[in-house]
Amino acid sequence: MDLHILDHRLRVTSICKNGLVNFTHPLIKLIFLRNRARCKFFSLTETPENYTVVLDEEGFKELQPSEHLLVESSVWLPLNVVSNGNSSSSSQAVGVTKIAKSVIAPLAQQHVSVFMLSTYQTDFILVREKDLAVVINTLEEEFNIYREVGGEYSAVLSQDVRNGFQKNGKEAPQLTVHPLLIPQNQFCVMSLDPDTLPAIATTLIDVLFYSNSPKEGALPSQDLDCIKFFSFSLIDGYVSLVMDTEAQRQFPADLLFTSSSRELWRMVRIGGQPLGFDECGIVAQISQPLADNDISAYYISTFSFDHALVPEEDIVSVTEMLQQHRKEPAC
Amino acid sequence: MSGSKPDILWSPHHADRYVICDSELGLYRIGPVGSGETKAGALPLSVETAATLLAINSDTPYMKCVAWYPKHEPECLLAVGQANGRVVLTSLGQSHNSKCKELMGKEFVPKHARQCNTLAWNPVDSNWLAAGLDKHRADFSVLIWDISSKFSPEASVAAEKIRLSSGDTDSGLVVTKPLYELGQNDACLSLCWLPRDQKLLLAGMHRNLAIFDLRNTSQKTFVNTKAIQGVTVDPHFPDRVASFFEGQVAIWDLRKFEKPVLTLTEQPKPLTKVAWCPTRMGLLATLTRDSNIIRLYDMQHTPTPIGDETEPTIIERSVQPSNSLIGSFAWHPTSQNRMVVVSAANRAMTDFTVFERISLAWSSTTSLMWACGRHLYECAEEAGVGGEGTVEKDIATKMRQRAQSRYGHDMVQVWKNHLLAGGDDPQLKSLWYTLFFMKQYTEDMEQKQQGSKQALVYSGIKNIVKSSSGTTENRRCWSGSDRQTDVPRFHSEERSLALRLCGWINRGPDINVEPFLRSLEGEGEWERAAAVALFNLDIRRAIQILNKGASAERGDLNLNVVAMALSGYTDEKSSLWREMCSSLRLQLKNPYLCVMFAFLTSELGTYDGVLYESSVAVTDRVAFACMFLNDAQLPRYMEKLTSEMKEVGNLEGILLTGLTKDGVDLMESYVDRTGDVQTASFCMLKGSPGEVVKDPRVQCWIENYRNLLDAWRFWHKRAEFDIHRSKLDPSSKPLAQVFVSCNFCGKSISYSCSAMPHQGRGFSQYGVSGSPTKSKVTSCPGCRKPLPRCALCLMNMGTPVSNCPGTGHGTGKSGEKVDLTRENKLAQFNNWFTWCHNCRHGGHAGHILSWFRDHTECPVSACTCKCMQLDTTGNLVPSDSH
Repeated sequence: MDLHILDHRLRVTSICKNGLVNFTHPLIKLIFLRNRARCKFFSLTETPENYTVVLDEEGFKELQPSEHLLVESSVWLPLNVVSNGNSSSSSQAVGVTKIAKSVIAPLAQQHVSVFMLSTYQTDFILVREKDLAVVINTLEEEFNIYREVGGEYSAVLSQDVRNGFQKNGKEAPQLTVHPLLIPQNQFCVMSLDPDTLPAIATTLIDVLFYSNSPKEGALPSQDLDCIKFFSFSLIDGYVSLVMDTEAQRQFPADLLFTSSSRELWRMVRIGGQPLGFDECGIVAQISQPLADNDISAYYISTFSFDHALVPEEDIVSVTEMLQQHRKEPAC
Repeated sequence: MSGSKPDILWSPHHADRYVICDSELGLYRIGPVGSGETKAGALPLSVETAATLLAINSDTPYMKCVAWYPKHEPECLLAVGQANGRVVLTSLGQSHNSKCKELMGKEFVPKHARQCNTLAWNPVDSNWLAAGLDKHRADFSVLIWDISSKFSPEASVAAEKIRLSSGDTDSGLVVTKPLYELGQNDACLSLCWLPRDQKLLLAGMHRNLAIFDLRNTSQKTFVNTKAIQGVTVDPHFPDRVASFFEGQVAIWDLRKFEKPVLTLTEQPKPLTKVAWCPTRMGLLATLTRDSNIIRLYDMQHTPTPIGDETEPTIIERSVQPSNSLIGSFAWHPTSQNRMVVVSAANRAMTDFTVFERISLAWSSTTSLMWACGRHLYECAEEAGVGGEGTVEKDIATKMRQRAQSRYGHDMVQVWKNHLLAGGDDPQLKSLWYTLFFMKQYTEDMEQKQQGSKQALVYSGIKNIVKSSSGTTENRRCWSGSDRQTDVPRFHSEERSLALRLCGWINRGPDINVEPFLRSLEGEGEWERAAAVALFNLDIRRAIQILNKGASAERGDLNLNVVAMALSGYTDEKSSLWREMCSSLRLQLKNPYLCVMFAFLTSELGTYDGVLYESSVAVTDRVAFACMFLNDAQLPRYMEKLTSEMKEVGNLEGILLTGLTKDGVDLMESYVDRTGDVQTASFCMLKGSPGEVVKDPRVQCWIENYRNLLDAWRFWHKRAEFDIHRSKLDPSSKPLAQVFVSCNFCGKSISYSCSAMPHQGRGFSQYGVSGSPTKSKVTSCPGCRKPLPRCALCLMNMGTPVSNCPGTGHGTGKSGEKVDLTRENKLAQFNNWFTWCHNCRHGGHAGHILSWFRDHTECPVSACTCKCMQLDTTGNLVPSDSH
């Protein structure tokens, strides 16, 4: 297995719901005019709380500082696991589940905070730049690690980064158990030919920026049966969309790509209070039991909460499993 | 091909059909312009060809890529890859009962929809269709479909889970289970099957090129690179692959897959297509976005004598098929260097043939060869000798023949050189006679011990007569006639010398042209002899000569008529004879007859009719001028004639200029006109004081002549020329370049080196002298230690050589006697020292030569030096026999 450290330096930001109007121009530019904005990594996720925007430094320049914009102070680097074609596992489970044991758990043990971003195409594991030495040190046994520089991959050895190596604090893991929320709506994960992006532009703008209009007055966060969640990412030219079935109906059916089985997903939201960025082991908490049971999952972290998507047909067993898990927490 | 960007595919089996695909598929047939069947609605593609639209297929939206079924049957079956990853089989212009009916509309659907980037039919097992798709986190990006597979019943069990859109399942034409799935969690941008094995697939994946082996799908060979687009195998070289990334093309050798063997110069704009020419070895065409040119790279491996690890030479050039921006192009599968180009904007097509580079080579002999495409043309000089209308032979052929006949080497009878040159060139004849007379005169002078005029002889008549003094004038009567003439003739020592150089008179004080007249009669030059006799005021002799000429074998009877006319000569100014002669003489064809009457009818002291009759030999005109022009007229005439000669590069003018700077100027225009560096070299070497030889132009001719001899492999001739040259120009002797020193005492082992005041005495110095004390030739003459051993016979080296190398040999003076001793003095070549400059091993020349006849490596064990191959001329044999 190969681990690629991609050539993007990312910032994690949040735009509050009221402040969105101030940012519609840069966001539209980043989404639709990808040749004009030199941003190569862009992800926008709408949650009931806020809009989480993850983008590279080129894209970050487009966002004007404002009271409505919260910026996490660190630079994050995306990691990507490449199976290298020799996947011997017969497991059909993919996504976070596949890397739970090899990446997520070891990093959690080393107290490296991770920010997950699953897309239609792949799963990105974002780590802080300052943690890179620890990451390499932790994962080099399991992976061949390559760092992308100017489009070429070169092998990374831990000796090369030993200088900056500091072990993170060794204090006993806080076994914070976060409350879970399982909304009722069904989600689908889809993609799109970037060339046809203009064809769905109006729908996309409508869904992204005007979604609150019909339900104005009602606080969306209170309506926990059906959570508002929409994610759009445009990374290295690939489009990925996560939306619920209600939103999907607004798009023309023949343009969006999805699996031929038209699989649907249910969401598990992790966290009652905003999680912050320093706590470790949150992803591990969820992904470990899923991996043990070989259940596929998407995992999308946002500024406030984490979101796991599991197959619709497995939601019952997942719920039970996670409930069980928090009664007798893993050591 | 997304949206409007078009692409072209040639039919694999119909050389006249191709498909253009942009938003729809269009099948075209190409044919000659105006031929009956193509007339209606034909689109002109070039001056000679036009295309007819046969069919359109717009059934498949969102086309991303198209591939044409490679087998004959069913023809015109196309696989279309769509934006959602589905691959659809379709066809164009087929009747409905055709064989492929059951395949039409068949769809191959990946588990997760994403763009299909590329398609490739397996060329052997044509049921296999490889599709390259974009990345999906859980799915494979390379799917190999079997087009013959049916919608399997096992799959329909799971049909309730697979919520296929309505209608798909009804038709039974949807296949969801690929034969092979490769490249999990990766993207595939380009694909091609490798001709080495039908189960090898080369794929341009995200950031790497991978070779998948379907016999063992868990293994793959891969190399990390950005150049992953448009992988394509060279049809002439199954291990050579091209791929590209943005503006850069990388060429790979699959046997050495770690890195590209070549990267081509980067283009400022991103590339859109790269294709090997199927009809021409090593020709790669590339197209960039928004461009109206196609760039061609011609990669040719040229064998070199040292190893074969060299990069191929690449010749880059561009072609512009039309003025509009090019959307795509496709090489014709069989027609040489031909392609069809489609414009980016309006689907305008152009049929275009890349004109082959012409490579041209002159041989060192006169033939010329050039290659264009698959044709090789040779242009050789016609071998036919004589014959009507044969063009004059090329100067190179002439020089080559002359070199073989030892032209220029006759140092005694210098005039004979013109016979060695073939004897048919009047200018050369005049030149060599002039040089002969000059030499003869100087030798006379030597005998007389009068050095005063010697330097002057070679400076030409122009300078000789300039210094003329004490000219006497006399009026002679016509010899053999009592009539008095009033023609003044001028005499001086210098004028006599000039006449001698012209060949009119022999040595001696009196002017007697009789021997010259007789030699002219002997050669049958009756008119000239008559003219010379007349100019010497012997009209009776002239008439006699003409009579003789008329009665000679094959003689011209008209000469008698001329003699009659001549005999009527009268100096009466207003006579009818004079009037008729001066007007009718111009009708005489022979210039000498013409000038005879010009002379007789001329006004006193004005002889322009003679002096400026260019058909008359320069020698005769000069001699005439020396006799009849006064001291004021003569230099002016000489000056004028000289510049005229220099202008046209007439070698007869050497008589006037001599071997002076003027002579070099004249020779320069001669060489410019003819290219005959051979004559120029030999002639200028005769220049005695050596001033002219130092002229850079002369050195240039000499070096060029030597190079020419070398190029003809006339090495013996070249050596002969060098010897000849060093005799005439001692400063040209090369310095010794190689010395052999003793390993022990470090002194040069060649005895002769120190003994000889001037170095460069051939190779004899490499031998070891048998010293007076009879020391062995195989030991150093300095310290008597043994010399190195021959690597082959293991005997100590050393060659016996004369111990008195000072005596000149080969100057030709003492003839055979010297040659005999020379044989003994020079050691046998077989015993000479020879060694490799690279590995420094060596031995007796004969042994080493015979070793390398059968071997390539050095004879010393464990030495792998390929000595003989380092010597590029070592394996050539001289083409002149010695």
